Amino acid sequence: MSTTQMLKGILDGCILAIIKNKEVYGYELADKLENYGFHSFSEGTIYPLLLRMQKEELVTSTLKKSTAGPRRKYYSLTPKGEKELEKFIDRWNDLQNNVSNVLQHEADVKYNKGDETHEK
Amino acid sequence: MKNEVNISVESKEFIENLRVYLFSSGKKTDEIDEIILELESHLSEAEKKGKSIDKIIGKSPKEYMEMISDEMLNDYRAWFKYILLIISGAFAITIIRDVFEGALAYSVLEIIGHILISAIFIFSVLKGFKYISTIKQSLWKQVAILFPIVMLPGALFLGLIYLNRVVETPLIQFGTTASMIIGIITMIFLIGMSIWAKTWILIVFVAFLTLPNYIISHTALTSETQLILESIIMFGGIGIYLWLSSKLVKRKE
Repeated sequence: MSTTQMLKGILDGCILAIIKNKEVYGYELADKLENYGFHSFSEGTIYPLLLRMQKEELVTSTLKKSTAGPRRKYYSLTPKGEKELEKFIDRWNDLQNNVSNVLQHEADVKYNKGDETHEK
Repeated sequence: MKNEVNISVESKEFIENLRVYLFSSGKKTDEIDEIILELESHLSEAEKKGKSIDKIIGKSPKEYMEMISDEMLNDYRAWFKYILLIISGAFAITIIRDVFEGALAYSVLEIIGHILISAIFIFSVLKGFKYISTIKQSLWKQVAILFPIVMLPGALFLGLIYLNRVVETPLIQFGTTASMIIGIITMIFLIGMSIWAKTWILIVFVAFLTLPNYIISHTALTSETQLILESIIMFGGIGIYLWLSSKLVKRKE
């Protein structure tokens, strides 16, 4: 499985979290994600995601003039988006717990197995 | 309100292709404008920081265009408008030309053929534009793809005329009065639709395809001169109209 496939869905939650904190425009959002360590995804992927989130009424957008030239589209979270973010955080915590449990536990088992074979 | 955005030739090309792709996929014009504006400013900022276009849209522009397109709603009203314009336009041109020549009579095959050819034309134009926009091609290759598409209806109509002579299907005939009434209804329909679609293109086409023929055939000129004069006025008139309207559109921008 590639990172891109794993990222699907997770990126949604991260975008919601960033937007909740502060109104952002597209480039700013991509830049923030990159600074957080998401290097492997192509920046443009955020736009189809944002389009979908707008359709689902999780985010809204307004066009604002910028000091440096063209107008920018700023995104902000709707109440529905905030609820979705809360749900994402719950799901993520669950998932993270489960995955680390699995990985830790299985690593221990392997270690025991290794011990057993060593003894024989 | 045009925004001057500084982007590389490669990015500009991508943006234009995306516009054509989304348009021929039947998306809403305002929504297309919005996403284009957003991507343009993203590309411009990214390029200022030295990022390449691949970093933004990934390795396959086609896949990226599809991703964007999938998330946008289809504009069925606009689709309906174009399809209605082309199909009824094809009918109106035939009906009005025939009215000038006397009573109307159409075979079932002709009527079905007209609808089918118009549908094939619309479908192939949209497919053709969509295809061209997703791959990098030289201008000549694009022309080579579009040319057969534009010529296709002409060839199909010729085929239909031939088929109509060979295959017999029931004939629907109208008397002189009925033909005149149908002609007038078609004219009213054409005008109504032109007002609705906010374009005079259909009326201009019909006028240049029928009037010169009618007027010149009543002159004492030889039939050869008539034919030449007719086609000059027809193609010249339509050409001048298209040129003038494209100038008007540019001035509006």
